[in-house]
Amino acid sequence: MTQGQAPAVEGLFSEDGGTARLLGSRCGTCGTGYFPKSGLCHNPACDRSDMSDAAFGPAGTLWSYSVQNYPPPPPARYDEPYEPYALGVVDLDDGLRVVGRMDVAGPESLVAGARIEIVIGPIAHDEDGTELVSWKFRPAEEGRDA
Amino acid sequence: MRDVAVMGVGMHAWGKFPETSVTELCRVAVEAALADAAIGWRDVEAVAAASSRFSGGKGWGLNGNDVVEDMGSTGIPVYNMSAGCAAGGNAFNVGHALVAGGMHDVVLVVGGEKMPKGFIQTSGVEEETDPEYLRQRCVGMPGPAFWALLCRRRMDELGTTEEQLARVAVKAHEVGRHNENARFRQEFTVEDVLGSALVSDPLRLYEICPVSDGAAAAIICSADAARRIGGDPVWIAGSAVATARFDDGLPRGLAGIVPTGMAHHSEAAMAVSKALAQAGAEPGDLDLVELQDNTVYYELAFPEEWGLCKPGEAEHLLEAGETLPTGRMPINPSGGFLCFGEATTAMGVFQVCEVTWQLRGQAGARQVPDAKLGLAQTLGLGGNGTAVVLKR
Repeated sequence: MTQGQAPAVEGLFSEDGGTARLLGSRCGTCGTGYFPKSGLCHNPACDRSDMSDAAFGPAGTLWSYSVQNYPPPPPARYDEPYEPYALGVVDLDDGLRVVGRMDVAGPESLVAGARIEIVIGPIAHDEDGTELVSWKFRPAEEGRDA
Repeated sequence: MRDVAVMGVGMHAWGKFPETSVTELCRVAVEAALADAAIGWRDVEAVAAASSRFSGGKGWGLNGNDVVEDMGSTGIPVYNMSAGCAAGGNAFNVGHALVAGGMHDVVLVVGGEKMPKGFIQTSGVEEETDPEYLRQRCVGMPGPAFWALLCRRRMDELGTTEEQLARVAVKAHEVGRHNENARFRQEFTVEDVLGSALVSDPLRLYEICPVSDGAAAAIICSADAARRIGGDPVWIAGSAVATARFDDGLPRGLAGIVPTGMAHHSEAAMAVSKALAQAGAEPGDLDLVELQDNTVYYELAFPEEWGLCKPGEAEHLLEAGETLPTGRMPINPSGGFLCFGEATTAMGVFQVCEVTWQLRGQAGARQVPDAKLGLAQTLGLGGNGTAVVLKR
């Protein structure tokens, strides 16, 4: 993040050396990952919750995608005039199915199974002009397995 | 468990009624159900009501208390059930349990709703510990986006086309135009549907149910009470509630686990299979199904998730006319949510009304011939699923 930027909600992601990661937790007993962080393992098949912090991403595979064609109701944020944005569901290589906005102009180029990387990017501006950022999904660059 | 009969059903037509309170809508439905059962208000021993987040209920979802005060405060117990859009089905399940378990002989189940304008805001909670709040705040994906993501996955996986999606809406209106209680009774062509605006790509305006006002009621009785009252009972062969499984793979919160099999609505599938098991029936035994078609996607996905047909087969059954009332697998002969619009917490009771009329042979031009076994199913926020199997 740069000056003039703020996370849409604090504590959900990090960006280190250009690599974006989601901040969650993982259960040491059953290996189940969680995003956002969880104080308890919710897996009913797990006998003992043993949670510690874990980071997820940035690489994954697109499971599905859509376009938010109309302005979403609160508490969603967007800039006026409203511009539709693409949405995605991504299966991260480290075992989480995550929702997020897509960092693409339109859905025309998208197809399930495409390789994806997580990036941190703008979703809207605050009243004072601060750019609110969140995790987003970008098609991985050719020749570079994110 | 005792046998339980549906002895009377009634509804207020669906629409937008700015001048009418939700309690007044419920009054019409309750009076119709009482008249249908040929009993009076003082015969009702308990009320199982759907709690509304949007209307009446003194702002606390006490909608059953409003109905009792309106009809006459006889001092009877009231149970107000909250289960998101599954609240009507949930109230029916609790009402059934009260009679089946021997607590009461005559119970009123009621759901009424007046919806705010526009698309529903999924969460009213503004807390950063609430997953639904985070999902909207950090991403911005309201209900239709969830359906759209599932629908696009189906298109990529099974080859469903935009025209096939549109045909579900065309079929809904072909049937629903015969229903005097439906709000949208015009017929559509595939071109009309495909010409309507994209709401959440690939889903279009005419492929998503709008919100409506409406109310529905049912009088359910023990077998003894049914004999005493006389009339035309329809029997509750199965009634079940389930919540979502941890590992079903639907993208509900911010993140979940990647499932080993296909993602599916586990709460709906479990409720349906439990209700069918109670009825001693197989999916193929059903003569009709009233399912929660918030969008056309569900009329294709649900029959497959419940074993009514094979994955990828729903489109072919639709195109062959098999989901019409006269087909092999009639789906939503009422016209469904697409023709009624969703009066959220009333829908589970609305479905029971339709299945009851179908099993009695009172459904007129939308009648499923010789219907003997019918299913009603709801799905609600929080992973709530309900199912009822009714039989003649």
